[in-house]
Amino acid sequence: MIPGKILRFLEQHANIAFAGTRDRDLVPYGHRVSGWRVDANQGTITAFVPAEFTPRLLESLRENGELAVTVEEFPSHETYQFKGRYVGDRALRPDDVEIVDRIRKRFVRSLRPIYADVPEDALNAFVSDASLAIEFEVLEIFLQTPGPGAGTRIVPPAER
Amino acid sequence: MRLTHLPPEIRPVLESGTPAVMVTCSADGKPNTTIISQVYYVDETHAALSFQFFSKTIRNVRENPRAYVCVFDVRGQSQWVLQLEFQRSETAGPIFDAMDMQIEAIASMTGMSGIFKLRAADVYRVVSVERLQSGR
Repeated sequence: MIPGKILRFLEQHANIAFAGTRDRDLVPYGHRVSGWRVDANQGTITAFVPAEFTPRLLESLRENGELAVTVEEFPSHETYQFKGRYVGDRALRPDDVEIVDRIRKRFVRSLRPIYADVPEDALNAFVSDASLAIEFEVLEIFLQTPGPGAGTRIVPPAER
Repeated sequence: MRLTHLPPEIRPVLESGTPAVMVTCSADGKPNTTIISQVYYVDETHAALSFQFFSKTIRNVRENPRAYVCVFDVRGQSQWVLQLEFQRSETAGPIFDAMDMQIEAIASMTGMSGIFKLRAADVYRVVSVERLQSGR
């Protein structure tokens, strides 16, 4: 189960995410994530991936199932990494597209102070529309906010 | 188009201080994804990444040298994808000094002074480089 504090982070504050996979030769690959939803059981997350980042994604997931997704709130840098196992994939639904739009707005708002001279349309275009939804079961959650606590496992709790 | 060297047009993106994302993989096959504050241009065929904390990323590249880095180019509405291979770690010298100065500047700009601290400059060989356009 994803703790309530992290659920609120994912649903209300986080604005950028990236997924990592690896192939059979242990070569890592990255996949940008334009949006995400926590599923009703609060144990799986569905990540929405743009077309330009789908090559090798399904092939790797179907071969070994390993997936890591890092989610950050910029510019506070609060960050968590979710590690888990591929459950399935599907096309985006209209309510997924609404989530991507909402997260795009959140991200563009965070960029505005840094890119004051860049037109709104250009900043919006930086967050690609997603074409594929990847569902994965969350097995571990790590704190990744920069600082001495980075890397601490939150779920399941680290043994003392 | 996939290249095997860093083209000149990537330099301003790397020098802009925009965060990048790095994916590594442990020897037992677990991918790890992290946000990194700096990708440093060493020469056409080498880049250096900052080693600031003892992390899973640092352990992974010493077990399995392959790494994936994605650098965001907000103004260019694109992202640069780098496949790298870890070569060595430097704790002194011109690459370390230049990265240390950049890290200080990034930390100061992002309110992370006292948190970002360079322990080593990890030097990677460039395996491939590709530019992906964002698409809406």
